Amino acid sequence: MTCSVNQQMINEKIVEICSEFKNDPDELIAILHKAQGHFGFLPSEVQQAVADQLHIPVSKVFGVVTFYSYFTMEPKGKYPISICMGTACYVKGAEKVLHEFESKLKIKNGQTTTDGRFSLNTLRCIGACGLAPVVMIGEKVYGGVKPEDAGKIISEYPA
Amino acid sequence: MKAQQLKIALRNCGVIDPEDIQDYIANEGYLALASCLSGPREAVIETIKKSGLRGRGGAGFSTGTKWEFAAKPESDKKYVVCNADEGDPGAFMDRAVLEGDPHSVLEAMAICGYAIGADEGYIYIRAEYPLAIKRLHIAIAQAEEAGLLGENVMNTGFNFKIKLKYGAGAFVCGEETALIKSMEGNRGEPVSKPPFPATKGYRGKPTNVNNVETFANVAAIINRGADWFSSIGTEKSKGTKVFALAGKVKKVGLVEVPMGTTLRELVYDIGGGILGDKQFQAVQTGGPSGGCLTVKHLDTPIDYESLVAAGSMMGSGGMIVMDEDDCMVAVAQFYLDFTVEESCGKCVPCREGNKALYSILNKITHGHGTMQDLDRLKELSAVIKGASLCALGQTAPNPVLSTINNFYDDYVQHVVDKKCRAKKCRALIQYRVVEENCIGCGACKRACPADAITGEIKQKHFIDQEKCIKCGACHQKCKFSAIAID
Amino acid sequence: MDKVKNTEQLKALQSALRKDAEEAASRKVIIKVAMATCSIASGAKPVLDFFTEEMPRQPLEFIIKSTGCTGFCHSEPTVEVTLPGKDPVMFGHVDVKKATEIVNDYIKGGKPVAGTVEVSRS
Repeated sequence: MTCSVNQQMINEKIVEICSEFKNDPDELIAILHKAQGHFGFLPSEVQQAVADQLHIPVSKVFGVVTFYSYFTMEPKGKYPISICMGTACYVKGAEKVLHEFESKLKIKNGQTTTDGRFSLNTLRCIGACGLAPVVMIGEKVYGGVKPEDAGKIISEYPA
Repeated sequence: MKAQQLKIALRNCGVIDPEDIQDYIANEGYLALASCLSGPREAVIETIKKSGLRGRGGAGFSTGTKWEFAAKPESDKKYVVCNADEGDPGAFMDRAVLEGDPHSVLEAMAICGYAIGADEGYIYIRAEYPLAIKRLHIAIAQAEEAGLLGENVMNTGFNFKIKLKYGAGAFVCGEETALIKSMEGNRGEPVSKPPFPATKGYRGKPTNVNNVETFANVAAIINRGADWFSSIGTEKSKGTKVFALAGKVKKVGLVEVPMGTTLRELVYDIGGGILGDKQFQAVQTGGPSGGCLTVKHLDTPIDYESLVAAGSMMGSGGMIVMDEDDCMVAVAQFYLDFTVEESCGKCVPCREGNKALYSILNKITHGHGTMQDLDRLKELSAVIKGASLCALGQTAPNPVLSTINNFYDDYVQHVVDKKCRAKKCRALIQYRVVEENCIGCGACKRACPADAITGEIKQKHFIDQEKCIKCGACHQKCKFSAIAID
Repeated sequence: MDKVKNTEQLKALQSALRKDAEEAASRKVIIKVAMATCSIASGAKPVLDFFTEEMPRQPLEFIIKSTGCTGFCHSEPTVEVTLPGKDPVMFGHVDVKKATEIVNDYIKGGKPVAGTVEVSRS
């Protein structure tokens, strides 16, 4: 997927976000959260703009983006699906739930569907262990998910 | 008599409206802070020390002593940090407190700030908790509006502002030095201690870092007294502990019990016993840093020292119950998979050592392990524990050591017989049609994604082992107990 | 809420709020709906909405509160109902259908509704 947003628009948005945090390099993570919330992902153009605005090396920004699992340099789907793989979910069969989503969406863990609708990832524990196995789509949490529920859940999200 | 819960950290959860400060105030809210502000700072630290409160994040260090360390240095600036990065898979104690009683944490942070001489606090919270983040923002705004936080709290001249900092999905940031690095906008890579954060923490200034549950106890201790708190629990582990009881237990949920309650009481009296009345096999405590407690440990009282003596640790409170259908070798591999992914990569023993541990476990669960591999697991584990930079690496081998010690026969079965007793390790199991039960309905054949099942309607069906991918779909679909797992 | 100026004012406020709560409990039905992450994921929001819309139609005084985690993840969504002068009763696995029974049978009629959760606390 090509990024159709031009550099000027990126710079303007990044200036706006960074100034919200007083251009404080300590706030790099909060800034990247906001930037990813706006752009959907953090390509090198966005990282360069952040580095320029905060007067820090782009290698540092890249190091932070690649360290934390929340940040992605690849676009996520419109509806990001996260399957919890925490211990409680694991013992309750989360792997089978993951395989069923992979099978229904015809993608593997870490990939996005070709129409950009869904991306599939695993998360390490969102703290809803009482409802294991748990699946999150965006911020919506589904509990007690069985493999046979995958199809029904996917159909709740139109193109 | 059945064991009972005793709610101190969770005293307001499920009772008050977390988005209404008046509800908190009606339940003794901010009285503890008011009482502290009217006396000397040293008295606050003495009370916390006397109570015997120990860190609830896992390390169990004396909270009062920690505050004392941070109070000592002369500095133009100090910080209070709340570790709300709750990354242990299976743990949600802190989430419950932050969503259900956020003011208890804010009040405690302000009390700590007063005690150590800080005017600024940060809550480092994982991004996976959006509802907790929302409720904290509301609570901070309400407390500032009411003059209970911010400038000149209750006209005493004490200032204390609290802000949020967000994690971004890195388990290692639960380690306090990595957390501080992350707060400064860096990769969450731990640093050696000393110097400890109490002398050189956030922005190089004295910083006190405590866990959410630790803070949630503070106001109750100030209000009811150190003697009251230390009358609960055991000799060295005072008060209560919140546990997230999950896994194969009937009553999954959050429980708070006095220290010294036994594992049996927790799992059976409070947890209702094992799901489906199956056989209890083990309880994992301490998450990826902990170990398994087995049948022989059921009467172990839960306190810091006893759990370590039993080969595990308290950890933050996650308690995953496992039954006869769980493979303990696969569980060890699961934890190593997690640790390898979450390792920051800075030090060789953790980065390379845990990868090697995982690789050996993977060999074993896929049927290629040897008896020498079991010796190698123990040797490697000892090196990783001794040489790693931080607690993530130092405790990563614990699930391996604990399962090898308690379930040695299972490991031997995997490497010698190439069998998995619990029938969980795919490479070591086979699905087979039980001919006497098979009525030839064809449900298994239709369910099979690999076309590995042949048979005509009303004829016995057959599984081709060459094609079978061991997904278990046939076993799930069969209503006649005609698919066996060997 | 006005700024609290000192400890005495805080204590007075607490005392007044407690008194109001006790007085309310003596004549109002108190309905607490747990709204933690587990609760919401299990379907607590429609239950809260139901009580919010339904209770004003009933000929009795009430308070509806959303709270945090009750710890009963095995029975979410949970709703605690306290009738004036009675002990609180915790209902589990509450959906809109069960909430309707709770209103019609328990709140209005004082008759028990199946599916309560045992709460044991010291």
